[in-house]
Amino acid sequence: MARRLKQTATRSRGEREFLSEAEEILERMRDDLGVCLERASSGDEFAPDVLNRLFRSAHSLKGLSGMFGLEVLAELAHKVEDLLDAWRLGRSQPTPERFALLEESVALFGRALEQLAAGAIATEFAAAVAELNGRIDAARSAPPVAPPAAQDVLDAPAALLRTLTEYEEHRLRESLARGRGIYVITVAFALASFEERLSEISSALREVGELLSTLPSPGAGGPGEIRFALLAATELDAAALAARLELEPSAVHAARAPRASANTPAAAAAVSEPTPSNAPPQANASPADASVAAPREPAPAADAATLRSVSDTVRVDIRKLDELMNLVGELAIERGALSAFARKLAGDPASVRLGAELEKIHKALDRKLQELQASVIDVRMVPLRQVFDKLARVAKRLRLDLHKDARLELAGADTELDKLIVEELVDPLMHIVRNAFDHALETPEERAAAGKPSEGVIRIEATQRGNDVVITVADDGRGIDTERVRAKAVERGLIAAAAQLSQRELLDLVFAPGLSTRGEVTETSGRGVGMDVVRSNVAALGGLAAIESRLGAGTTVTLTLPITLAIIQALIVGVGAERYAIPLNSVREVLIADPASLQRSGSRELFALRGDALPVLRLRDEFGVTSGAAAAKPFAVILGLGDARLALLVDRLDGQRDAVIKPMQGPISSVRGIAGATELGEQSAVLVLDIAALVTSAQRAEAA
Amino acid sequence: MSNAASSWDVLARAAATREAAASETRALRELLVFSIDGAPYALPIERIREIVRPRALTPVPHVPSAVLGVISLRGEILQVLDTRRRLGLAAVASARASRVIVLNGEDGRVTGLLVDAVHEVLRVEESALLPPTNADGGLITGLAPRGAGFVSLISPEQLVELDASAA
Repeated sequence: MARRLKQTATRSRGEREFLSEAEEILERMRDDLGVCLERASSGDEFAPDVLNRLFRSAHSLKGLSGMFGLEVLAELAHKVEDLLDAWRLGRSQPTPERFALLEESVALFGRALEQLAAGAIATEFAAAVAELNGRIDAARSAPPVAPPAAQDVLDAPAALLRTLTEYEEHRLRESLARGRGIYVITVAFALASFEERLSEISSALREVGELLSTLPSPGAGGPGEIRFALLAATELDAAALAARLELEPSAVHAARAPRASANTPAAAAAVSEPTPSNAPPQANASPADASVAAPREPAPAADAATLRSVSDTVRVDIRKLDELMNLVGELAIERGALSAFARKLAGDPASVRLGAELEKIHKALDRKLQELQASVIDVRMVPLRQVFDKLARVAKRLRLDLHKDARLELAGADTELDKLIVEELVDPLMHIVRNAFDHALETPEERAAAGKPSEGVIRIEATQRGNDVVITVADDGRGIDTERVRAKAVERGLIAAAAQLSQRELLDLVFAPGLSTRGEVTETSGRGVGMDVVRSNVAALGGLAAIESRLGAGTTVTLTLPITLAIIQALIVGVGAERYAIPLNSVREVLIADPASLQRSGSRELFALRGDALPVLRLRDEFGVTSGAAAAKPFAVILGLGDARLALLVDRLDGQRDAVIKPMQGPISSVRGIAGATELGEQSAVLVLDIAALVTSAQRAEAA
Repeated sequence: MSNAASSWDVLARAAATREAAASETRALRELLVFSIDGAPYALPIERIREIVRPRALTPVPHVPSAVLGVISLRGEILQVLDTRRRLGLAAVASARASRVIVLNGEDGRVTGLLVDAVHEVLRVEESALLPPTNADGGLITGLAPRGAGFVSLISPEQLVELDASAA
């Protein structure tokens, strides 16, 4: 959080906006280029939807650059747009050489953004653009391909075919050439709900083939109904298509039946890995898209729906949300003061009625405040998809660079987390995935020798559990050899040669600074920065990193994170004269610690909880509190983070409060066991406990 | 330039040059003077954000003893340093401390400094500053004349530079 405070607005707002938006568009283009490349290498045709998106991205970049007076960039984007336009209309074919030009352009654009972020675009940049533009022009002037067979093979109303745009016509020819069936699907929907229904049927069509055009259709519809004719290409036959779309067979008219040898059942598309390209552009899509795509061609209704949702989106600087969050937090604190005052009034016989009335008002205010808080938190939530997309791209690159045959499986991309947490997660996750590729997965030969399928699998899965989000990264690689870890740790002086460590404790050493499990240093995983950084980054977010591994079978890294950092529900506990706040999401239960349930075990203490033995931490001792006398029957706050549990002993419970966690500013940047501090309404600071650190240190004490 | 210039012109020009020189080379230093145990000390005024009355201090575990704890200042949480201890003076049982000087750090982080009393803002010509008499761990960087005596100039950077291990 201190890092955020340091962010200074050195660049103008306009520049910042340009950079963030252009960067977003470029990211999407890189994604799409990757998809194209993959399809090209497997011999498939270029996906028309991907080409279209690339084209729109280039168009957006052009407009954006022009708007900010960056003529050189606008020109480059314009050339790229032209090139893509020619491809999508079938006027020229994408060849590997031309494709390389596209990649080069995107890379050049990326460099320009980097230079711009650092100050200004270097002057020699214009020359590089001019040179590339020349080559793009040369590539584009190559002779166009002859248009394939005409459309008179189609049994479809001529009126319908006449209304097709150049692009749609090109797609129709392409589909014919590939032997797909061409269908005219006629549907009628109630005016009130047609957008929704049309978008359902459109996306169903896209799953089994391609939606070529959507046209309003005249003719006998019922009152309050609207009719559409959808022109679609698919390898399914008419009956199967009707069944798939849940329509009467009569609604589907075959303009041309599919060639019998249609190769793969289109349903296979549904089981393929969820590529980012299939994801509809959500809140992160640039609003510029809307102004670009709409006037070009009659956009299919599903697209129109998406575009509408995009233009409903407002971009907000996360810092503004922070401010808002702080305000809400402070409001919650004021509310606390109001409540205390109401109780005081009610306690005095002279004003007991006024007090009761004020308490009622306070209750109503409290309810509204909670709603406000919930919706502000909700605004900050973004799906993990953004991070997953980045990981997918990295994985693609690593697969090529490292010559490892591996597949990245992603699940739970819709799981939502606080925007700030999502951003801070990119690096740790990237590191874990790199590690998995570089160290965990064996070479194809090694895998064959071990009797595993040659293709390795790295599976990233996110799920929400209460107030936590759990992200696991699992690979089916060689697993971690704990004996090698032990040898390394002894060599580095991290543990004594004779140390008795359990399997789990040995694995946990992977998170110790300066321990790398493979001897050699590689470019991919680098050196020095290791899992210790992953653990500390995750801990800084109030989360926990854990690892499990079976030799020969694979490794799973589990990250447990709070959904939001902004406002937390906190349990206030007291020790002597001091009070501390414990994030409620890590409190499993609170009990009165009967002396009989506390037991010494060597130098440590255990708490017996329903047949389980939990490590005990006496907060008084941990923090060296000297005021007051320790309670004879302390409270045991059972903390849990991931699978780890700890019984924290405190003198008192002081209730539950809302807390905005603030960093402790000053010379000491971090304190063991303290996540920050909060104000609870009496102008006094209360320290917030760092549960991850306490739980980890208790585990380490166990192991020592 | 020429004899034609009136004496007023000459004066005005001289004043302008002096002002320009002052702002360019910062020959004039503005210092906030405060006292601890009756002795005056000073910090550059441009590093002071505000001066507040002491408020409830919350002790923080596992920190060097020079960190007295944290206070909440309009929702901001800042660490407060025992300036007396940082200057190597013996701790006094009955703290006469009356003010907290809020210091702006170079990295944007602020720190509170507990002092006995805050006095005036002192303007001193750079050229009038004297070097420190001995090595005070680099904390005192010079002496500035004040009345018949001197005020010790403290380096704000050195003041907040704590050895985290020295608990």
